[in-house]
Amino acid sequence: MFSIGELFDWLTDAENWTGRYGLANLFVEHLTLTLVSLAIAGLLAIPIGVAIGQSGRGETLVIAISSASRAIPTMGLMFALVMFMGVEFRQFAVVLALVGIAIPPVLAGAYAGIKSIPIVIREGARAQGMTTLQQIRHVGLPLSASSIAGGFKIAYLQVVSTVVLAPLVGLGGLGFGVIQGLALRDFAQLTGSAVVIVLLSITGERLLAKAQGKLDRRLTQSKINR
Amino acid sequence: MEWAAKNFDFVLELSVTHLLISLVPLVLGSVLAFALVRLTPLKLAGTIGTTFSAIYAIPSLAVFVALPAVIGTSYLGPTNVVIALSIYVAAAMFFSIRDAFSQVSKPTVFIARAQGLSPLQLFVHVELPLAIPGLIAGLRVAAASTVSMASIGAIVGVRNLGYLFLDGFQRKIPEEILTGLFAIFIIGIALDLGLWALGKVLTPWTRRSAQRV
Repeated sequence: MFSIGELFDWLTDAENWTGRYGLANLFVEHLTLTLVSLAIAGLLAIPIGVAIGQSGRGETLVIAISSASRAIPTMGLMFALVMFMGVEFRQFAVVLALVGIAIPPVLAGAYAGIKSIPIVIREGARAQGMTTLQQIRHVGLPLSASSIAGGFKIAYLQVVSTVVLAPLVGLGGLGFGVIQGLALRDFAQLTGSAVVIVLLSITGERLLAKAQGKLDRRLTQSKINR
Repeated sequence: MEWAAKNFDFVLELSVTHLLISLVPLVLGSVLAFALVRLTPLKLAGTIGTTFSAIYAIPSLAVFVALPAVIGTSYLGPTNVVIALSIYVAAAMFFSIRDAFSQVSKPTVFIARAQGLSPLQLFVHVELPLAIPGLIAGLRVAAASTVSMASIGAIVGVRNLGYLFLDGFQRKIPEEILTGLFAIFIIGIALDLGLWALGKVLTPWTRRSAQRV
Protein backbone atom coordinates (compact mmCIF):
# COMPACT_ATOMS: atom_id res chain seq x y z
CA MET A 1 0.00 0.00 0.00
CA PHE A 2 1.15 3.55 -0.43
CA SER A 3 0.06 6.78 1.16
CA ILE A 4 -1.36 10.07 -0.07
CA GLY A 5 1.98 11.62 0.88
CA GLU A 6 3.81 9.38 -1.58
CA LEU A 7 1.32 10.32 -4.29
CA PHE A 8 1.86 14.01 -3.52
CA ASP A 9 5.64 13.53 -3.62
CA TRP A 10 5.42 11.78 -6.97
CA LEU A 11 3.18 14.46 -8.47
CA THR A 12 5.35 17.33 -7.21
CA ASP A 13 8.66 15.78 -8.25
CA ALA A 14 9.85 17.83 -11.24
CA GLU A 15 11.57 14.78 -12.67
CA ASN A 16 8.22 13.12 -13.32
CA TRP A 17 7.08 16.06 -15.42
CA THR A 18 10.02 16.42 -17.81
CA GLY A 19 11.53 14.28 -20.56
CA ARG A 20 10.02 12.02 -23.24
CA TYR A 21 7.78 10.16 -20.78
CA GLY A 22 7.30 13.09 -18.40
CA LEU A 23 3.74 14.07 -17.54
CA ALA A 24 4.00 17.36 -19.50
CA ASN A 25 4.89 15.63 -22.75
CA LEU A 26 2.38 12.80 -22.23
CA PHE A 27 -0.34 15.36 -21.46
CA VAL A 28 0.35 17.24 -24.71
CA GLU A 29 0.34 13.96 -26.64
CA HIS A 30 -2.93 12.91 -25.05
CA LEU A 31 -4.61 16.22 -25.78
CA THR A 32 -3.26 16.40 -29.35
CA LEU A 33 -4.50 12.90 -30.23
CA THR A 34 -7.90 13.77 -28.74
CA LEU A 35 -8.32 17.15 -30.43
CA VAL A 36 -7.07 16.02 -33.85
CA SER A 37 -9.51 13.08 -33.84
CA LEU A 38 -12.39 15.27 -32.69
CA ALA A 39 -11.63 17.85 -35.39
CA ILE A 40 -11.57 15.23 -38.16
CA ALA A 41 -14.74 13.63 -36.81
CA GLY A 42 -16.43 17.04 -36.72
CA LEU A 43 -15.45 17.84 -40.30
CA LEU A 44 -16.96 14.55 -41.44
CA ALA A 45 -19.95 14.12 -39.14
CA ILE A 46 -21.40 17.65 -38.90
CA PRO A 47 -22.06 18.08 -42.66
CA ILE A 48 -23.49 14.56 -42.92
CA GLY A 49 -25.65 14.97 -39.80
CA VAL A 50 -26.94 18.35 -40.98
CA ALA A 51 -27.64 16.99 -44.47
CA ILE A 52 -29.57 14.03 -43.06
CA GLY A 53 -31.54 16.24 -40.68
CA GLN A 54 -32.30 18.78 -43.39
CA SER A 55 -33.32 16.30 -46.08
CA GLY A 56 -34.95 13.75 -43.79
CA ARG A 57 -33.24 10.98 -45.78
CA GLY A 58 -31.04 8.35 -44.11
CA GLU A 59 -32.47 8.81 -40.64
CA THR A 60 -32.44 5.08 -39.90
CA LEU A 61 -28.71 5.16 -40.70
CA VAL A 62 -28.06 7.66 -37.89
CA ILE A 63 -30.07 5.61 -35.41
CA ALA A 64 -28.38 2.35 -36.47
CA ILE A 65 -24.88 3.85 -36.25
CA SER A 66 -25.42 5.39 -32.84
CA SER A 67 -26.89 2.24 -31.30
CA ALA A 68 -24.37 -0.15 -32.87
CA SER A 69 -21.46 2.06 -31.81
CA ARG A 70 -22.36 1.61 -28.14
CA ALA A 71 -22.00 -2.16 -28.39
CA ILE A 72 -18.53 -2.11 -29.98
CA PRO A 73 -15.70 -2.04 -27.43
CA THR A 74 -13.41 0.88 -28.26
CA MET A 75 -10.41 -1.07 -27.01
CA GLY A 76 -10.98 -3.92 -29.48
CA LEU A 77 -11.60 -1.50 -32.33
CA MET A 78 -8.27 0.25 -31.72
CA PHE A 79 -6.34 -3.02 -31.37
CA ALA A 80 -7.90 -4.50 -34.50
CA LEU A 81 -7.14 -1.41 -36.63
CA VAL A 82 -3.50 -1.24 -35.49
CA MET A 83 -3.11 -4.96 -36.13
CA PHE A 84 -4.58 -4.85 -39.63
CA MET A 85 -2.87 -1.65 -40.78
CA GLY A 86 0.48 -2.72 -39.38
CA VAL A 87 2.36 -1.51 -36.33
CA GLU A 88 4.41 0.94 -38.43
CA PHE A 89 1.19 2.84 -39.23
CA ARG A 90 -0.11 2.69 -35.66
CA GLN A 91 -0.36 6.47 -35.29
CA PHE A 92 -2.64 6.64 -38.31
CA ALA A 93 -4.56 3.53 -37.21
CA VAL A 94 -5.19 4.93 -33.71
CA VAL A 95 -6.41 8.28 -35.09
CA LEU A 96 -8.68 6.37 -37.48
CA ALA A 97 -10.10 4.34 -34.59
CA LEU A 98 -10.61 7.50 -32.50
CA VAL A 99 -12.34 9.26 -35.42
CA GLY A 100 -14.59 6.21 -35.74
CA ILE A 101 -15.40 6.45 -32.04
CA ALA A 102 -16.09 10.20 -32.21
CA ILE A 103 -18.27 10.21 -35.32
CA PRO A 104 -21.49 8.58 -33.93
CA PRO A 105 -22.13 11.06 -31.08
CA VAL A 106 -21.26 14.13 -33.20
CA LEU A 107 -23.41 12.82 -36.04
CA ALA A 108 -26.30 12.20 -33.66
CA GLY A 109 -25.86 15.67 -32.12
CA ALA A 110 -25.92 17.43 -35.50
CA TYR A 111 -28.87 15.39 -36.71
CA ALA A 112 -30.88 15.87 -33.51
CA GLY A 113 -30.08 19.59 -33.52
CA ILE A 114 -31.56 20.12 -36.97
CA LYS A 115 -34.48 17.79 -36.20
CA SER A 116 -35.43 19.68 -33.03
CA ILE A 117 -35.90 22.99 -34.86
CA PRO A 118 -39.64 23.70 -34.95
CA ILE A 119 -41.15 23.05 -38.36
CA VAL A 120 -42.58 26.61 -38.37
CA ILE A 121 -39.09 28.09 -38.26
CA ARG A 122 -37.69 25.79 -40.92
CA GLU A 123 -40.62 26.32 -43.27
CA GLY A 124 -40.53 30.05 -42.51
CA ALA A 125 -36.93 30.23 -43.65
CA ARG A 126 -37.84 28.42 -46.85
CA ALA A 127 -40.88 30.63 -47.43
CA GLN A 128 -38.66 33.72 -47.22
CA GLY A 129 -36.88 32.42 -50.29
CA MET A 130 -33.67 31.22 -48.63
CA THR A 131 -31.68 28.69 -50.62
CA THR A 132 -30.90 25.38 -48.90
CA LEU A 133 -27.37 26.58 -48.09
CA GLN A 134 -28.73 29.83 -46.62
CA GLN A 135 -31.23 27.86 -44.54
CA ILE A 136 -28.41 25.76 -43.13
CA ARG A 137 -26.04 28.70 -42.57
CA HIS A 138 -28.49 31.18 -41.06
CA VAL A 139 -31.10 28.92 -39.45
CA GLY A 140 -30.00 25.31 -39.12
CA LEU A 141 -26.47 25.67 -37.76
CA PRO A 142 -27.10 28.51 -35.27
CA LEU A 143 -30.14 26.76 -33.82
CA SER A 144 -28.47 23.36 -33.54
CA ALA A 145 -25.13 24.66 -32.17
CA SER A 146 -25.87 23.61 -28.60
CA SER A 147 -26.92 20.11 -29.67
CA ILE A 148 -23.71 19.77 -31.70
CA ALA A 149 -21.69 20.89 -28.65
CA GLY A 150 -23.48 18.18 -26.65
CA GLY A 151 -22.43 15.61 -29.26
CA PHE A 152 -18.83 16.79 -28.99
CA LYS A 153 -18.98 16.47 -25.21
CA ILE A 154 -19.90 12.77 -25.41
CA ALA A 155 -17.33 12.22 -28.18
CA TYR A 156 -14.64 13.93 -26.07
CA LEU A 157 -15.29 11.62 -23.11
CA GLN A 158 -15.14 8.51 -25.27
CA VAL A 159 -12.01 9.60 -27.11
CA VAL A 160 -10.13 10.76 -24.00
CA SER A 161 -10.77 7.43 -22.30
CA THR A 162 -9.74 5.43 -25.36
CA VAL A 163 -6.48 7.41 -25.72
CA VAL A 164 -5.65 6.14 -22.21
CA LEU A 165 -5.27 2.70 -23.85
CA ALA A 166 -2.95 3.98 -26.63
CA PRO A 167 0.29 2.97 -24.83
CA LEU A 168 -0.81 -0.67 -25.18
CA VAL A 169 -0.31 -0.36 -28.95
CA GLY A 170 2.94 1.56 -28.61
CA LEU A 171 1.80 5.18 -28.62
CA GLY A 172 2.16 7.77 -25.84
CA GLY A 173 -0.42 9.66 -23.85
CA LEU A 174 -1.19 9.76 -20.14
CA GLY A 175 -2.10 6.06 -20.05
CA PHE A 176 1.64 5.36 -20.25
CA GLY A 177 2.13 5.90 -16.53
CA VAL A 178 -0.84 3.63 -15.73
CA ILE A 179 0.35 0.78 -17.94
CA GLN A 180 3.97 1.08 -16.80
CA GLY A 181 2.94 1.51 -13.17
CA LEU A 182 0.88 -1.70 -13.36
CA ALA A 183 3.77 -3.61 -14.94
CA LEU A 184 6.40 -2.32 -12.50
CA ARG A 185 4.13 -2.26 -9.43
CA ASP A 186 4.93 1.45 -9.11
CA PHE A 187 1.73 2.49 -7.38
CA ALA A 188 2.74 6.13 -6.99
CA GLN A 189 3.28 6.47 -10.74
CA LEU A 190 0.08 4.53 -11.40
CA THR A 191 -2.12 6.65 -9.15
CA GLY A 192 -0.35 9.91 -10.04
CA SER A 193 -0.99 9.34 -13.73
CA ALA A 194 -4.61 8.40 -13.00
CA VAL A 195 -5.05 11.69 -11.12
CA VAL A 196 -3.80 13.70 -14.13
CA ILE A 197 -6.10 11.70 -16.45
CA VAL A 198 -9.06 12.44 -14.17
CA LEU A 199 -8.21 16.17 -14.17
CA LEU A 200 -7.94 16.24 -17.98
CA SER A 201 -11.23 14.44 -18.56
CA ILE A 202 -13.28 16.32 -15.99
CA THR A 203 -11.91 19.74 -17.01
CA GLY A 204 -12.67 19.03 -20.67
CA GLU A 205 -16.16 17.78 -19.87
CA ARG A 206 -16.90 20.85 -17.73
CA LEU A 207 -15.64 23.24 -20.44
CA LEU A 208 -17.77 21.59 -23.12
CA ALA A 209 -20.81 21.50 -20.83
CA LYS A 210 -20.28 25.23 -20.18
CA ALA A 211 -20.05 25.92 -23.91
CA GLN A 212 -23.25 23.96 -24.44
CA GLY A 213 -25.00 25.93 -21.69
CA LYS A 214 -23.83 29.23 -23.17
CA LEU A 215 -25.14 28.31 -26.63
CA ASP A 216 -28.42 27.25 -25.02
CA ARG A 217 -28.77 30.54 -23.19
CA ARG A 218 -28.05 32.50 -26.37
CA LEU A 219 -30.97 30.68 -27.95
CA THR A 220 -33.43 31.47 -25.19
CA GLN A 221 -32.29 35.08 -25.06
CA SER A 222 -32.80 35.53 -28.78
CA LYS A 223 -36.35 34.28 -28.25
CA ILE A 224 -37.00 36.97 -25.63
CA ASN A 225 -35.56 39.74 -27.83
CA ARG A 226 -37.92 38.81 -30.58
CA MET B 1 -12.61 -18.80 -37.97
CA GLU B 2 -10.15 -21.61 -37.37
CA TRP B 3 -8.75 -19.98 -34.26
CA ALA B 4 -12.20 -19.50 -32.73
CA ALA B 5 -13.15 -23.12 -33.41
CA LYS B 6 -9.92 -24.44 -31.91
CA ASN B 7 -10.25 -22.31 -28.78
CA PHE B 8 -14.00 -22.53 -28.42
CA ASP B 9 -13.96 -23.71 -24.79
CA PHE B 10 -11.56 -20.96 -23.80
CA VAL B 11 -13.67 -18.28 -25.51
CA LEU B 12 -16.79 -19.68 -23.84
CA GLU B 13 -15.12 -19.53 -20.43
CA LEU B 14 -14.07 -15.91 -21.05
CA SER B 15 -17.59 -15.09 -22.26
CA VAL B 16 -19.17 -16.40 -19.07
CA THR B 17 -16.80 -14.28 -16.97
CA HIS B 18 -17.51 -11.32 -19.23
CA LEU B 19 -21.25 -11.73 -18.87
CA LEU B 20 -21.00 -12.05 -15.08
CA ILE B 21 -18.68 -9.07 -14.76
CA SER B 22 -21.26 -7.01 -16.70
CA LEU B 23 -24.44 -8.33 -15.09
CA VAL B 24 -23.37 -7.90 -11.46
CA PRO B 25 -22.57 -4.18 -11.88
CA LEU B 26 -25.80 -3.67 -13.84
CA VAL B 27 -27.83 -5.01 -10.93
CA LEU B 28 -25.77 -3.37 -8.17
CA GLY B 29 -25.57 -0.02 -9.96
CA SER B 30 -29.29 0.08 -10.74
CA VAL B 31 -30.21 -0.73 -7.13
CA LEU B 32 -27.83 1.98 -5.90
CA ALA B 33 -29.20 4.52 -8.38
CA PHE B 34 -32.77 3.62 -7.49
CA ALA B 35 -32.08 4.04 -3.77
CA LEU B 36 -30.45 7.41 -4.43
CA VAL B 37 -33.33 8.64 -6.57
CA ARG B 38 -36.05 7.58 -4.11
CA LEU B 39 -34.39 8.18 -0.78
CA THR B 40 -32.42 11.40 -1.13
CA PRO B 41 -34.18 14.68 -0.50
CA LEU B 42 -34.88 16.88 -3.50
CA LYS B 43 -32.34 19.44 -2.33
CA LEU B 44 -29.48 16.96 -2.70
CA ALA B 45 -30.56 15.65 -6.12
CA GLY B 46 -28.70 18.41 -7.99
CA THR B 47 -25.45 17.74 -6.16
CA ILE B 48 -25.70 14.00 -6.76
CA GLY B 49 -26.44 14.63 -10.44
CA THR B 50 -23.36 16.85 -10.85
CA THR B 51 -21.17 14.35 -9.00
CA PHE B 52 -22.38 11.50 -11.17
CA SER B 53 -21.85 13.37 -14.43
CA ALA B 54 -18.30 14.17 -13.28
CA ILE B 55 -17.67 10.50 -12.41
CA TYR B 56 -19.08 9.49 -15.76
CA ALA B 57 -16.41 11.65 -17.40
CA ILE B 58 -13.50 9.70 -15.89
CA PRO B 59 -11.88 7.08 -18.16
CA SER B 60 -12.57 3.58 -16.85
CA LEU B 61 -8.94 2.46 -16.67
CA ALA B 62 -8.19 5.47 -14.45
CA VAL B 63 -11.04 4.47 -12.12
CA PHE B 64 -9.90 0.83 -12.04
CA VAL B 65 -6.42 1.82 -10.86
CA ALA B 66 -7.43 4.77 -8.66
CA LEU B 67 -9.94 2.77 -6.58
CA PRO B 68 -7.31 0.82 -4.59
CA ALA B 69 -5.85 4.11 -3.36
CA VAL B 70 -9.29 5.30 -2.27
CA ILE B 71 -10.83 2.16 -0.74
CA GLY B 72 -7.77 -0.03 -0.21
CA THR B 73 -8.67 -2.96 -2.47
CA SER B 74 -6.04 -4.96 -4.35
CA TYR B 75 -4.75 -3.47 -7.65
CA LEU B 76 -5.43 -6.54 -9.75
CA GLY B 77 -8.52 -8.71 -9.96
CA PRO B 78 -12.24 -8.27 -10.52
CA THR B 79 -13.22 -6.37 -7.34
CA ASN B 80 -12.20 -2.92 -8.61
CA VAL B 81 -13.70 -3.57 -12.00
CA VAL B 82 -17.06 -4.61 -10.53
CA ILE B 83 -17.13 -1.62 -8.17
CA ALA B 84 -16.08 0.83 -10.89
CA LEU B 85 -18.61 -0.51 -13.41
CA SER B 86 -21.34 -0.39 -10.74
CA ILE B 87 -20.56 3.29 -10.18
CA TYR B 88 -20.77 3.96 -13.94
CA VAL B 89 -24.09 2.12 -14.15
CA ALA B 90 -25.38 4.05 -11.13
CA ALA B 91 -24.26 7.31 -12.75
CA ALA B 92 -26.12 6.52 -15.97
CA MET B 93 -29.18 5.00 -14.32
CA PHE B 94 -29.57 7.84 -11.81
CA PHE B 95 -30.75 10.11 -14.62
CA SER B 96 -32.86 7.54 -16.46
CA ILE B 97 -34.59 6.33 -13.27
CA ARG B 98 -35.33 9.91 -12.23
CA ASP B 99 -36.73 10.74 -15.68
CA ALA B 100 -38.68 7.46 -15.93
CA PHE B 101 -40.54 8.18 -12.69
CA SER B 102 -41.06 11.87 -13.38
CA GLN B 103 -42.67 10.97 -16.71
CA VAL B 104 -45.48 9.08 -14.95
CA SER B 105 -48.42 11.40 -15.47
CA LYS B 106 -49.43 13.32 -12.36
CA PRO B 107 -53.23 12.88 -12.80
CA THR B 108 -52.77 9.09 -12.81
CA VAL B 109 -50.94 9.29 -9.49
CA PHE B 110 -53.59 11.61 -8.01
CA ILE B 111 -56.41 9.32 -9.12
CA ALA B 112 -54.69 6.29 -7.62
CA ARG B 113 -54.18 8.17 -4.37
CA ALA B 114 -57.81 9.31 -4.36
CA GLN B 115 -58.87 5.69 -4.78
CA GLY B 116 -57.21 5.04 -1.45
CA LEU B 117 -54.02 3.25 -2.53
CA SER B 118 -51.34 3.21 0.15
CA PRO B 119 -47.91 4.67 -0.81
CA LEU B 120 -46.58 1.13 -1.27
CA GLN B 121 -49.55 0.04 -3.41
CA LEU B 122 -49.27 3.26 -5.39
CA PHE B 123 -45.64 2.50 -6.08
CA VAL B 124 -46.02 -1.20 -6.91
CA HIS B 125 -49.22 -1.00 -8.94
CA VAL B 126 -49.10 2.42 -10.56
CA GLU B 127 -45.75 4.21 -10.59
CA LEU B 128 -43.44 1.24 -11.23
CA PRO B 129 -45.39 -0.32 -14.12
CA LEU B 130 -45.79 3.06 -15.82
CA ALA B 131 -42.08 3.82 -15.42
CA ILE B 132 -40.97 0.49 -16.93
CA PRO B 133 -40.52 1.67 -20.56
CA GLY B 134 -38.19 4.44 -19.36
CA LEU B 135 -36.33 2.10 -16.98
CA ILE B 136 -35.80 -0.52 -19.70
CA ALA B 137 -34.60 2.11 -22.17
CA GLY B 138 -32.06 3.32 -19.60
CA LEU B 139 -30.94 -0.22 -18.80
CA ARG B 140 -30.40 -1.02 -22.47
CA VAL B 141 -28.03 1.94 -22.87
CA ALA B 142 -26.24 1.09 -19.61
CA ALA B 143 -25.94 -2.59 -20.55
CA ALA B 144 -24.38 -1.86 -23.94
CA SER B 145 -21.74 0.46 -22.54
CA THR B 146 -21.03 -1.82 -19.55
CA VAL B 147 -20.45 -4.86 -21.75
CA SER B 148 -17.97 -3.00 -23.94
CA MET B 149 -16.31 -1.18 -21.02
CA ALA B 150 -15.84 -4.44 -19.09
CA SER B 151 -13.25 -5.53 -21.66
CA ILE B 152 -10.87 -2.83 -20.36
CA GLY B 153 -10.84 -4.80 -17.08
CA ALA B 154 -8.52 -7.29 -18.81
CA ILE B 155 -5.70 -4.76 -18.40
CA VAL B 156 -5.95 -5.09 -14.62
CA GLY B 157 -5.98 -8.87 -14.80
CA VAL B 158 -9.65 -9.85 -15.19
CA ARG B 159 -9.93 -12.90 -17.43
CA ASN B 160 -12.77 -11.76 -19.66
CA LEU B 161 -13.11 -11.26 -23.41
CA GLY B 162 -10.85 -8.20 -23.28
CA TYR B 163 -8.02 -10.67 -22.66
CA LEU B 164 -8.38 -11.76 -26.30
CA PHE B 165 -7.49 -8.20 -27.41
CA LEU B 166 -4.33 -8.07 -25.28
CA ASP B 167 -3.23 -11.62 -26.04
CA GLY B 168 -4.13 -11.43 -29.74
CA PHE B 169 -2.17 -8.19 -30.11
CA GLN B 170 0.90 -9.51 -28.33
CA ARG B 171 0.92 -12.81 -30.21
CA LYS B 172 -0.10 -11.14 -33.49
CA ILE B 173 -3.22 -13.25 -34.05
CA PRO B 174 -5.77 -10.98 -35.76
CA GLU B 175 -8.40 -13.71 -35.54
CA GLU B 176 -8.20 -13.65 -31.75
CA ILE B 177 -8.97 -9.92 -31.64
CA LEU B 178 -11.84 -10.36 -34.11
CA THR B 179 -13.23 -13.24 -32.04
CA GLY B 180 -13.20 -10.97 -28.99
CA LEU B 181 -14.97 -8.17 -30.86
CA PHE B 182 -17.55 -10.57 -32.22
CA ALA B 183 -18.20 -12.29 -28.87
CA ILE B 184 -18.62 -8.95 -27.07
CA PHE B 185 -20.94 -7.76 -29.81
CA ILE B 186 -23.04 -10.94 -29.45
CA ILE B 187 -23.23 -10.59 -25.65
CA GLY B 188 -24.28 -6.95 -26.09
CA ILE B 189 -26.99 -7.83 -28.60
CA ALA B 190 -28.22 -10.75 -26.45
CA LEU B 191 -28.52 -8.54 -23.36
CA ASP B 192 -30.24 -5.85 -25.39
CA LEU B 193 -32.77 -8.31 -26.82
CA GLY B 194 -33.30 -9.82 -23.36
CA LEU B 195 -34.05 -6.42 -21.85
CA TRP B 196 -36.33 -5.51 -24.75
CA ALA B 197 -38.27 -8.76 -24.28
CA LEU B 198 -38.41 -8.18 -20.52
CA GLY B 199 -39.89 -4.75 -21.18
CA LYS B 200 -42.56 -6.24 -23.45
CA VAL B 201 -43.46 -8.93 -20.89
CA LEU B 202 -43.70 -6.40 -18.08
CA THR B 203 -45.93 -4.02 -20.03
CA PRO B 204 -48.60 -6.27 -21.60
CA TRP B 205 -51.05 -3.38 -21.93
CA THR B 206 -48.92 -1.66 -24.60
CA ARG B 207 -49.31 -4.76 -26.79
CA ARG B 208 -53.03 -5.09 -26.20
CA SER B 209 -53.77 -1.46 -27.05
CA ALA B 210 -51.66 -1.76 -30.18
CA GLN B 211 -53.75 -4.75 -31.29
CA ARG B 212 -57.00 -2.91 -30.73
CA VAL B 213 -55.84 -0.06 -32.95
